[in-house]
Amino acid sequence: MTIMAQPSSSGGGGSAAGALYDIIELILDRGLVIDVFVRVSLVGIEVLTIDARVVVASIDTYLRFAERCGRLDLTGGRQPVGLPAIVGQITEDSAERKARGVLTGAGRAIADTIHDIVTTDGHGSN
Amino acid sequence: MARYVYCFTDAGHSLPLADLRGVGAEGPALRAVHHEGLAAVISDAPEGLRPKRRDLVAHETVLETLIAAGPVVPMRFGTVAPDDDAVVAELTRGAGRYTELLTRLAGHVERNVKGAHDEDALLADLLAGNQELRARNEALRAAGGGSQSDQVAFGERMALAVEQRRTRDAAYLVAALRPLAMLDRHAPSVKDCFVNVSFLIPSGAQDDFDAVVAQLRTAMQGYAELRVSGALPPYSFVDAVEATV
Repeated sequence: MTIMAQPSSSGGGGSAAGALYDIIELILDRGLVIDVFVRVSLVGIEVLTIDARVVVASIDTYLRFAERCGRLDLTGGRQPVGLPAIVGQITEDSAERKARGVLTGAGRAIADTIHDIVTTDGHGSN
Repeated sequence: MARYVYCFTDAGHSLPLADLRGVGAEGPALRAVHHEGLAAVISDAPEGLRPKRRDLVAHETVLETLIAAGPVVPMRFGTVAPDDDAVVAELTRGAGRYTELLTRLAGHVERNVKGAHDEDALLADLLAGNQELRARNEALRAAGGGSQSDQVAFGERMALAVEQRRTRDAAYLVAALRPLAMLDRHAPSVKDCFVNVSFLIPSGAQDDFDAVVAQLRTAMQGYAELRVSGALPPYSFVDAVEATV
C-alpha cells in the first residue's frame, strides 16, 4: 500500500483529510518521540521522503532534461522570470508586516539564536 | 491495556474531546490523564496499529482540533504506551521540559509550505537566462537530438542548473516568509518539491503569512506551485526547548 498515491480528496471532507497528502511526512517523521513508548512499525510502507538530489542526479533524469529541452518552444525572445527582484520586494513587504508588531523583538532574538543552531541544508534536524 | 498517545497539553487546556474519535477501526473515545499542571490525551490503542489513511486522518484531526483550543505538544504518529501509569510517569519525568515547551509554543501554529516547479517552465527559464546552455540545446536540436552521450552531457549540465535553481528558489521562499515566523525548519525532502519547509508562526500572523504566500504565488505563476498546510500542531518544533539551550 502506498499512502502517498491515494488522492487527497477522497476522504472525509474535513481539513485534515483533505490536506493529508501534503502533511503525511510531518505526521510520520516529526512530532515528539518518547524513548520509553513504542512506535508503530513503518515496515512495508513505501518510503515517503526522498533525497531530491539523488533523483536529479541520474542518467534517466539527464536524458529526460535533454529531451524536454529539445522540445521546448523557445521562440519569441523569451525573458527569464526575473524572480530575484520580485522576491526581494515580497521579502521587504514581509519584514514590514513583521514590523507592524506581530513579532516582539525578544521573540525574534530567540528565533535568530535557533537559526544559528539548526542546520539549513535541506534536511533540518531530527 | 495499551494507550495510544496523541499529545501533551497543559491543565488549562479546554480539551474538547467529546466529539473526537481516536485511531483504530472502532474509533475509540478520547480521554485525558493528568499530572499536576500537565495532561496527556490518549485512547485505548487498537491491535495491529498501522499507518493507514483512516488512522493518520484520525490522529491529525484530533491534533488539529486541540491546537485550535490551546497549545499542544504533538506525538509522532503511532506512539503507544503500555498503560495509564506509564503515561503519567512520563509526564512526571519530563514535567519541566514539557511545561517549558508548552509555554514556548503557546499562541503559535505550524504552517508548512511545499514548492514544486513546473518542469518545462523551469527548463525554459534556465535556457532563457543562459546563452551557453541555449546554444548547446540548439546544437543538439540541429543534430536531430545528437548522440546519447551528447544528450547525457547536456542533460547533466541542465541538472546542475536545475539543482542550483532549486536551492536558490528555496532560499528565496524561506527568506520571504521567515520575517513572519518565530522559527523555521526544513521538513524532509519530498518528491518533486524544491522546498518543504515548516514555519512556527504566531496564530495572529496567519493572515499576513497567507498574504505573503499569495504574493509569492503571483510572482511564481506558471513557474512554480506553492502548497500550504495549516494551522497544524507544531510537529516540527517539539525540540524548540533543546534548540535554545
